[in-house]
Amino acid sequence: MDVKKPIANPLIVLREEFDDWAILFDPDTGNAFGLNPTGVFIWKLLDGRHNPDDIVNRLREEADNVPEDAGEHARRFIASLEQQGLVGYEIEQGPGAGTGVRG
Amino acid sequence: MTSGPRCHDAAREEPRAAGSSAPALRSLYFYLTQGCNLRCRHCWLAPQFQTAAKQYAALPPDLFRRILGEAKPLGLSGVKLTGGEPLLHPDIGALLEILQDEQLRFSMETNGVLCTPELARDLVRSGMHHVSVSLDGADAQTHEWVRGVEGCFEAALRGVRNLVAAGIRPQIIMSLMRRNAGQVEPLVRLAESLGASSVKFNLVQPTARGEKLRDSGEGLDVGEMIGLGRRIENDLARTAKIRLFYSHPVAFRPLGRIFGENGDCGVCGIRGVLGVLADGSYALCGIGEHVPELVFGQAGRDGLAEVWGGNPVLRQIREGMPRRLEGVCGECLMKGVCFGSCIAQNYYRSRSLWAPFWFCEEAEKAGLFPGSRKAATDARQERNRPMTDCQCAG
Repeated sequence: MDVKKPIANPLIVLREEFDDWAILFDPDTGNAFGLNPTGVFIWKLLDGRHNPDDIVNRLREEADNVPEDAGEHARRFIASLEQQGLVGYEIEQGPGAGTGVRG
Repeated sequence: MTSGPRCHDAAREEPRAAGSSAPALRSLYFYLTQGCNLRCRHCWLAPQFQTAAKQYAALPPDLFRRILGEAKPLGLSGVKLTGGEPLLHPDIGALLEILQDEQLRFSMETNGVLCTPELARDLVRSGMHHVSVSLDGADAQTHEWVRGVEGCFEAALRGVRNLVAAGIRPQIIMSLMRRNAGQVEPLVRLAESLGASSVKFNLVQPTARGEKLRDSGEGLDVGEMIGLGRRIENDLARTAKIRLFYSHPVAFRPLGRIFGENGDCGVCGIRGVLGVLADGSYALCGIGEHVPELVFGQAGRDGLAEVWGGNPVLRQIREGMPRRLEGVCGECLMKGVCFGSCIAQNYYRSRSLWAPFWFCEEAEKAGLFPGSRKAATDARQERNRPMTDCQCAG
């Protein structure tokens, strides 16, 4: 079971459009990405409080016909976001050092 | 849930040509003939009107073979035959044999008028995987007003039927203007009845005759074009039995129609395409007919590898696109797939490779450019907005 709880890069902007798709973009670089509606749903739960299994459970609660292998799709999706610097993970540092985020 | 989560990168790494820092030369667009058998009011190439008595230059087959031979090591995987009118080429049979010998799949743009049953079968047998046929009206009066030659409507319909009978369902292309804008739905129904695979609606580009058409008031204004696009993509597409494409810039298309299943990703192929004109000139595309500085060399005299890898304009485009785009295109979040929509058109208008696309510029001036597709200067502030149902910050 995944214990890591991904966090969306706070520098990235999500803009939702009328057809439930959305654009993710970095205002500093202008790099842009298209997200389909399922991707948008997941993105909104990348808040450091949900691991991929939590996210898929939420998806099953809210959507019909979620496929058996949705968990695998979600993990691959989050990994691709991580690869592109769009999400990271909170890491525990030593006592008194506070927390940090690694991408 | 209809599909898994996906994140679509708006800019991708391209394959390289073997032993070169240039990208692979994936496709050559052959503008095979300087002449055309029609006189279309909106044509951006404006070829000479060819009759039995007056013939114009066409690309010689031996030069065609030589160009393909030089292009294959650079990554060539397919070609497009266009014109003028490709089926007007006096040695079209020889060209098809060469394509078959070279095992190169090809697409073709034609007005359909000269497409006999035999030629349609030869085209399919030779490896043609896509063909588009222009129909600019659902009746003879409208189509022939646009195309300037009596009888060309019925001839084009025969050409389409011959292609369908030969086993390939053509795409119908309609160029939109004031005269035919009311025939969009009848044209879709006509295309369905003919056995076409899809209909693509093109915007008339303000180049050559297209520029004159717009200046004469026969073109649509940007608001009309955007409205028509919405009607076609959002309403007509739902009832059509075949696929419909509306060729407005990517910034105006719903994301689902760009990146979704069976979406048209809209990625401009300019980095992997080179044009070859009927006289054997290498050019950015057919625009080389009007803009000499976008002609890069001459087949047979200049090596294609040197032209493709070393031409300063091509290198400039690779280095600067999309980063150097200006105006609304510079601000557009889709610039990594759109590349300014049409560099040739932008250069024709402004003599700058980085000028914004006319349609987007006019839409921006009219307040019609979609705000969600612009990296507005205050975008950084969006990061800190609280998450809501309609707008959220990551």
